[in-house]
Amino acid sequence: MDLLDRYLQAVKFWLPRAHRQDIIAELREDLRSQIEDQEAELGRPLTDAEVEATLRHVGRPVLVANRYLPQRHLIGPVWFPIYAFVLKIVVACYLVPWILVWVGLMIFDPAYRAGHVGAGWLDALGEAWGGFWLAATIAIGVVTIVFAVLEQTQATSGFLENWDPRKLPAMRDPRRIPRLSSTLDLVANVVFCSWWIVAMRSSLVLDRPDVHLTLAPTWGLFFWGFLLLALVNIVAAGVNLLRPYWTRGRAAVRLVTDLASSTLFVALCRSHIIASLTVAGATSARTARIVDTINHVLFQGWPIVMVVGLIVLGVDIHRVVRAGDADPQPAHGVPNGELPNHASH
Amino acid sequence: MSHGTTAAAPFDNLRLELRRGCLVIAVLAALRSEQYGYTLRRTLAERGLAIDESTLYPLLRRLETQGLLVSEWREEDKRQKRFYRLSPDGKLVLKQLRAEWQSLATSLDGIL
Repeated sequence: MDLLDRYLQAVKFWLPRAHRQDIIAELREDLRSQIEDQEAELGRPLTDAEVEATLRHVGRPVLVANRYLPQRHLIGPVWFPIYAFVLKIVVACYLVPWILVWVGLMIFDPAYRAGHVGAGWLDALGEAWGGFWLAATIAIGVVTIVFAVLEQTQATSGFLENWDPRKLPAMRDPRRIPRLSSTLDLVANVVFCSWWIVAMRSSLVLDRPDVHLTLAPTWGLFFWGFLLLALVNIVAAGVNLLRPYWTRGRAAVRLVTDLASSTLFVALCRSHIIASLTVAGATSARTARIVDTINHVLFQGWPIVMVVGLIVLGVDIHRVVRAGDADPQPAHGVPNGELPNHASH
Repeated sequence: MSHGTTAAAPFDNLRLELRRGCLVIAVLAALRSEQYGYTLRRTLAERGLAIDESTLYPLLRRLETQGLLVSEWREEDKRQKRFYRLSPDGKLVLKQLRAEWQSLATSLDGIL
């Protein structure tokens, strides 16, 4: 019975103090009865291996004890979907950017790189890994604590019970671009165009009594290029305002304009666009150094601009594909792009 | 190919779920006459409803906490054993559950 006693001792360890003796006495009685029945059937005492098999069948002590305990959870099934959703946001908006910023600094910031790779790449990676885990632990820990508190106070808060179905968001139609979105797009591009034409038309972009900033002759190309793209966006937003279901065409136009914008931005970064700077009271040698520094920083930054552009293009391509998947079948007599709202239901 | 194997896992889980609800009725019904845990398990197993000790005893404690069973420690064959039987509330609940079971069985028979 040594094995049985050891087994019961292991179960007892996990049981609440108040009920331990009671539960163990009952379990002991059951297991002894089982063993005695088997012995009577075989006509001999059970071997250790047979007792072991019986106990193995009953289950691991911690699991057996767990069945006597009330169901407990840090975050229960009611809050868990919201908890998981918030964790995804934390990962997407905090932890992933944390990694990207670190990678960006290591690649494009020589001073940062020199300060961290002094003792070797492995040490730098180890240091970053430690920092990342600290950030991740704190972020996830804080979210978990908040939800654990919500779980505990849920019974008294009534937050999940008191809700109004009428306040649910309106049905989203992936095929329709909201008119508000088109209007905002239109207004933003008109404001940008107005400012661009007034402030950026001349290569002498800063012409104050004490400061003069002149851009390189190639500026004209960039000025007209960005202006043309903004005008295209104005036209597209205007079309969308009238035809909210013109989704795939809009996504394709956005893909083309974003591709052109990214190309222009990269070219701008590499073009040493600042031609001259004069500042009252500053020597020409000093302003020349400032110009060189700005042009150098812009030049160094072109890979970042290109990576951002590629990400934007990826999103645009996804949008075109998604719009294609959700393309409406034109209703009889209704031109594609002018489908009424109820067509989506 | 592996269709039978892949279907076995969901079947086992669903079977467990189905049995879980039935076990409560079976235990309550079996305890119309007083029994201790081990004999109760044997009775149920003989009638085709085998139940593990680590499932039965927590269930008995839960039903007792809910006031559906009463229990007492008593000596039998020179051994201390805990005997359970239905409480008056337990008898009432068993009657209601039995009616519910019969109604469900009739409905399911119609659907199946």
